[in-house]
Amino acid sequence: MSNLTQEQIKVLEQSRQRLVQLTRSLGSLIASLNQSDPLPPWTSLQSQASIISNNLISVSDQLSDQRDLLSNLVAYPGPEYPGRTQANTLEQLLRTKLDPRVEDWVARGRAAGTESATTPSNFSDPDTAHKPLTDAQLAELWEWAPLEANQEARRRNWGGNFTLEEREAGIENVVTGLRRQLEDDDDGEEESEGEGEEGDGEEMDVVGVHRKPGAAEFEYNIAPHHPHPVQPFVPLDLILRYMTTGRMP
Amino acid sequence: MHEQSLFASVPVHQHHELLQQLAGLTAMQPRHCLERRLIFKAYRKPGMAGRIGASQDLQQGDLQRLNKMLNGNMYYTQVVGPVSESDFGSTAPVDQDTQMAGMDDSKPYDPSSPSYDYERQPWKLEFRDIPEAGTRSAVTSRLMSSATLPRGDVVEAMNAWGYHFITEYVVEGDMFVLNDIAIFLHRVLHYPGGDESNLPRRQLPALKDMALFEKSGSYVLQAFTIVQDGSNQETMKTASQHLFGLREQLKSAVLLEQADRLSLDTRAK
Repeated sequence: MSNLTQEQIKVLEQSRQRLVQLTRSLGSLIASLNQSDPLPPWTSLQSQASIISNNLISVSDQLSDQRDLLSNLVAYPGPEYPGRTQANTLEQLLRTKLDPRVEDWVARGRAAGTESATTPSNFSDPDTAHKPLTDAQLAELWEWAPLEANQEARRRNWGGNFTLEEREAGIENVVTGLRRQLEDDDDGEEESEGEGEEGDGEEMDVVGVHRKPGAAEFEYNIAPHHPHPVQPFVPLDLILRYMTTGRMP
Repeated sequence: MHEQSLFASVPVHQHHELLQQLAGLTAMQPRHCLERRLIFKAYRKPGMAGRIGASQDLQQGDLQRLNKMLNGNMYYTQVVGPVSESDFGSTAPVDQDTQMAGMDDSKPYDPSSPSYDYERQPWKLEFRDIPEAGTRSAVTSRLMSSATLPRGDVVEAMNAWGYHFITEYVVEGDMFVLNDIAIFLHRVLHYPGGDESNLPRRQLPALKDMALFEKSGSYVLQAFTIVQDGSNQETMKTASQHLFGLREQLKSAVLLEQADRLSLDTRAK
């Protein structure tokens, strides 16, 4: 084979660059997993993962685009290559088969790829596309969910159908997924009459589940929940200002 | 002394529940308090500030201190007097013992003595500085000091010290004590009518006639610790940590927070 053209060298150089980027981002993910304590926040892990996957895509694009060239290239040592001192590198370069470990990875990847390719990915056939959760997984989910939901609920000040964020953004825009119209205020007795049982159920949800007994935390309280909440009209700082200087707000 | 405090606004519908929660937390019954609070504002007496003549006898340091006192910042200050529910709207007998209380000089004795015995009302002067700025810990920390005043009419004495009366209101609330933290759940009541007289009232209207300052009737929760030696960083830190501990315990009921510094600005402008 004749010498490489400028263009071909450029292609090789590009492939090298992309591989270097891939190894770098893998290395930084490994380093951040190994070193940072506690683990980095999930947002940063996720962004690193997406960087890696972008790198993988670009490497794979490059390899498949230049498939003809790359599969035709043959590496051989030139006469001036320091074969004695760099024997290891030389062997790596001249390998024609993959490393056994790498072969394993490739085999696993192929298997996973063919599996996902053969199974239909549409949702119309839930049996194959979605394996139902096992009993253990279900139990785990049920154990986790009520506590978690309750903790989320406690962070909120209950007493309405909409959160403060939603109200500030305008309640018309909220997607509730409900057919009936939710009212903004809790002023309606008719509402509580109309759906009395349901209302009771909701209250129970907020106060019902407690942290496991024996957990060290001293949680004696329930989320404040009142059928007729009256929010103060005068903000705290104006009250304090009046108390300090007698200035009317 | 330093006062470190955290505040929270408590909507009226939560008040009863919170009282019970606090009673449980502190293992004590709430102690109901009613206080008259008179607001006084410092003013610069004409002719006082610039008068530094005839100062040969004063040392240079004294002179500076005097100048600072006369020309330095001026503050609002409060005079607080505990009252009881029966004082409101009561027609207490005209007890001539008042004359005994009037032993301290310069107190005009009013024979048409009011229903509630203003002449025997104990008072306490309470000064609070503007909260410290830029402290790293998230509590409101301010210099404070208090002193007992003679019973009866304080306006004259306050005038003599360069303060004039601004307004007064009543604070109604419940007090709890948890270790070194005092917890005061209170709200402000106005006198009915609202016409501001230039003197503290000599009699109190019926309690039910008092108007709420915050119309919805919400309460202010203040948790505070008083540190004797504010320059001791260790004790200050301990105090704020105790307050943070309380905040954690009450987290699910109310959110105790640092108050807006400027809302507690006592400087008179």
